[in-house]
This record gives sequence, C-alpha cells and structure tokens, in this order.
Amino acid sequence: MAKTSAVLRKVGMGGITGNRYAFYISCAILAVLLVVPSLHNGYLENLFRGVLMFATLSLGWNIIGGYTGYVSFGNVVFFGVGATVSSVLWQHYQQQNIVLAIVLAAIVAALMALILGFPILRLKGHYFGIATLGIALATQEIISNIDWLGGGSGFTIRQAGFFSEYYYAMWAICVISLVATWFIARSKFGYALVAIRENEEAAAILGVDATKYKVIAWMISAMMAAAAGSVFAFANGFIDPPTSFAVDNNVFPIVMAILGGVGTVAGPLVGAFVLTAINETLWSKFPQIHTLFFGAVIVLVVLFLPRGILWLLAVRGGFRGFINSLKAYRV
Amino acid sequence: MSFLRIENVGMRFGGLQALDDVSFEVAKGSVLGLIGPNGSGKTTMMNVISGVYKPSAGRVQFAGKTIADVRTHDVCKLGIARTFQIVKPFASLTVRENVAVGAMYGREGSKRSTQQSFERSQELLEIVGLARVGDKAASDLTIPDRKRLEVAKALALDPDVLLLDEVMAGLNATEVDEAIDLIRTVNARGVTLIIVEHLMKAIMSVSTSVVVLAEGKKIAEGLPHEVVASPEVIKAYLGTRFAERQMQLDEIKREVQLAREVEPGAHA
Repeated sequence: MAKTSAVLRKVGMGGITGNRYAFYISCAILAVLLVVPSLHNGYLENLFRGVLMFATLSLGWNIIGGYTGYVSFGNVVFFGVGATVSSVLWQHYQQQNIVLAIVLAAIVAALMALILGFPILRLKGHYFGIATLGIALATQEIISNIDWLGGGSGFTIRQAGFFSEYYYAMWAICVISLVATWFIARSKFGYALVAIRENEEAAAILGVDATKYKVIAWMISAMMAAAAGSVFAFANGFIDPPTSFAVDNNVFPIVMAILGGVGTVAGPLVGAFVLTAINETLWSKFPQIHTLFFGAVIVLVVLFLPRGILWLLAVRGGFRGFINSLKAYRV
Repeated sequence: MSFLRIENVGMRFGGLQALDDVSFEVAKGSVLGLIGPNGSGKTTMMNVISGVYKPSAGRVQFAGKTIADVRTHDVCKLGIARTFQIVKPFASLTVRENVAVGAMYGREGSKRSTQQSFERSQELLEIVGLARVGDKAASDLTIPDRKRLEVAKALALDPDVLLLDEVMAGLNATEVDEAIDLIRTVNARGVTLIIVEHLMKAIMSVSTSVVVLAEGKKIAEGLPHEVVASPEVIKAYLGTRFAERQMQLDEIKREVQLAREVEPGAHA
C-alpha cells in the first residue's frame, strides 16, 4: 500500500500538482483541439468546442469540488449568468466584443460567488451541495421572470463574428483555466485548499482562514464557468434559461472531473475529452438507447476507475497491479 | 510573571459541566503536566486554551489578549500551537507537505515563500525524526510517526506555547522514551509546554509542575512528586476506599517508625 501510494504521488494522483505525463497528455489534447478549425468541418468544430466548454466548466468545478472538497451541484448557475451577460450585452447594448463579455461575465459571477459564498460555504458536505442546487434552480427562475434579462423566451444573438472566432475564444479560456489551476496547485493558496479538504479543523489550527480561502476558491470556480458561458452564448446564437441552465451543463463537468481525476490539474481536460468521445461514439452507434449505455459507462468508471483515468498511468504490474491498486484505493 | 493565565474557566455542554472554575498559571519556559482521570476535562481545557472552544465562563489570557476574542485560525499567530489527541493528518498530502502547510500559514507564514516553507518543513522533520519518510503520504505512516507528525505540524507554527494532547498514548516503551527525548528537545529550544498524558512515567520525568483535574475541577497543583502523593489525587484516581486504605497504611508505618524511635533496638 505504501509503495502504491508513492507511485501514485509521482503522477500527481496522491498529490496536487500533476506530473510530466499528465502535462504531455494535456499539451497533446490542446494541440489537437487547436487545429480543428482549420479542417473546416462544422460538425467537428461544434463537437470540440463542446469539449473545450465542458473542460473549462470541469476545471472550474475542480477548484471548489476537487481541490477544496466542497462538492458543488450548482456551478451551472455561473455558466448561466455568463451566458445571460453576453445575451444582455448584445440585446440591449449591441455589443458583441467577446473579451468584454468574458470579463464582465467573470466579474458578475465572482461577485455572486462572493455574496453567496459567505453564508453557504459555512455548510459542510452534502448540505453545501444541496444549497448550491437550490441556488441554481432559484437563479434560473429569477432570470426566467425578468424580461430585461431575456425572460422565459430568451434572446437571439446575431452571429457577426466568423464561427471559428468563438472556437478560439473557448480554446483560450480553457488554456487560461488550465494554467491557472496549475499555478494554484503549486501555490500556498492551493495547499490551503487541500488542507481544508483533508481536515478543516486541523487546517484552522495551522492558521488557514478556511472561510476566506473557500470563498476565493468558489469565486475562481465561478469565473471559469461564467467565461465558458459567455462564449457559449455567442457561439450558440440563442440563449434562454433552459439552454444555459441545462442539466447536462451541471452534471457532465462533475462526471468529467471524476473520470479524469478529481483534484488533479489535467484531470478535467482529459475527462472532458474522453467522456465526449464515449458519448459521441455511443450516440452514433446506438441512437435510440445511447443514454442507457452512457449511464452504464459512468457506473463502470465509478466502480473501476474511482481515481480517474490519469490514475491508470501510475498502475504497475499489469492486471494484478491494477486489481491491487483498486483494492487499496477503493472509494 | 504570568505568561499564560487561565482565569476561572468554566465550560458547560448542555447539562454537563466539563470544566468548573479552573484557574492556573503557566510560567515561561516551563513544562506543565495536566493530569486527571478519564473525563476530567483535560482535553476540554486544551480546546479552550487553543481557542477551539469558547469558554462559558472565565477566560484564558495570553500575551495580553483573551483567547476567546481571537478567531481559531489566528490563535497560532499569537504563538499557541497544539496537537490533537486523535491525530488529524492531511491524508493525501506527503509528510513534508503536511508540515509545510503549518510553515506557510503559521506565525511566520506570511514572511515565507512556498520554497522557504518546504525548507522549514525539512528542518522540522529532521528534529522530530521523520526526515526518512518525508515523501510518503501521511496516510501511510505508523501510529508513532503520526504522533511525531502532529508535533512537527505544531512546531511549524513557530509557537511560544505548545499543547501536547496525549502524544504518547499507544506508544511502546522505546517509543515513549523517544517521545520524552523529543519533548525535552523542544522545551530546550525555549518552547513552553502543556502536556496532557495518562502515562505517569512521562509526566513525572518531564514536568516542572503538575495540575490535576477531576470532574472538571482543579484538585491539586504543585511539584510532580508532591502532587502524586496528595490524598486528594489518589482518591480521584483510585477511589475513596483505596485512599483510606492508603492513609491507614501510612498511619501504621508512622506508628512503627515512632515505636522504633521510642524503643531503640527493639527490632534489631
């Protein structure tokens, strides 16, 4: 057991900073994703923009849910707010500057996380999760009932930029989120987050101001989700609450983070890439019942890859080694 | 000169009076042993001193401040550090990272970079004898090593006062001797210690003074060998009947002694 965990540390699964292999894999995925628009294939571009969007959402979730250990079921709220900021900018101010939309969305989401974080980050474990779920539902209802924000019918955004512009914007915020995570994981701040996750009482005794760092972590998490939402609004061309607050946008990022490796730098990106590939394959092979197979895949992942795909890199000794590690690291 | 002063501290949990009007002082550089039977309020006292609990009566004064007024994460910035009886390692971090977190956020933490925190962590691991397992995950440590890790994490806060809550429970004889050496080493570096321990051998050999709690009240205070001979303390630990027998035994011994003096050579 001791040996297994020492090996796991080398790939950053027991630790927090990731490793060389995870770095190479991330670079490879990002490089592949960068050349997609030059293929001029609308289907692929749409698909991989989705990968980048979910990767960014998942990276955001990973900061609060993975590193800090506060599992949020409501990060979609920041995605929705980001999308709403973009659509409002277009509808009322005829603005379609992506950078402006991203920055504004990030600021609004961070303020929201700051205001909501102080009361609800006092809740522990499942209670925090339930509270975030409530906030997501409530915010969706509020936006649905304010016409200035699009109301129930939403806004249509005329796509003025060329389509790939949004693809590159999504690629850029994904890279920024990934690099930000890498810096956080190596910083004093990152260690405070992991200390809070592992034992909040012990962290406080060591001088970590848990409330402050939890709120900052959630703000960063919110900014990533909002940035993804604001670009999505322009790319999608139409935003209403059911589109921006979709259940998929809430659940997929969590599953992706778990699939890739919770609390690792590259986990969410790898998870987003692999899960989308699985989803797309199943969808094309079994159009009628693909969700059934998809659900089965998720259950199998939780059972046999509880620490994520990156964890496989650490397993030595073939099948026997895999079984032994599984026994030692069953969740 | 009072350094750390506990003033009439009371702590009530619902119907349970865990601490009742306890007062004592701790001198700078001393080693205070806090002893008492199970459930006498020792760990509660540790929690009050370290700011985890706010006392329901009285106060703890340190460095001109009342501990209850300071937020839990700021207590270490005043110079008070503690270990937990039930160890609380950050399981997924390495031993070195565990200690580094203390060095990053403790009293001197704001002055240290990440790199410097890890250097400080390495120094402390050498002091407590954990340098050999610095890269292991904390969850892989043996029980004695986890206790050492608790001490190293507390020392990483650069404390003036260190509270050790049963760091020797569950250790074997050799490990206890090592732990006693460690306590002496730490004290020699100028750190004032408050030790909660069931193991009398350890308390007797390192303490400069002892406070005895029973059912939340302070029943004795003084030099270690005086305190353990006091009938009150024996009663608290071993029950009234044993204390009475002990006193009768003492009486008989004294009479025998007297008889010897009166009739020299009678037993020769």
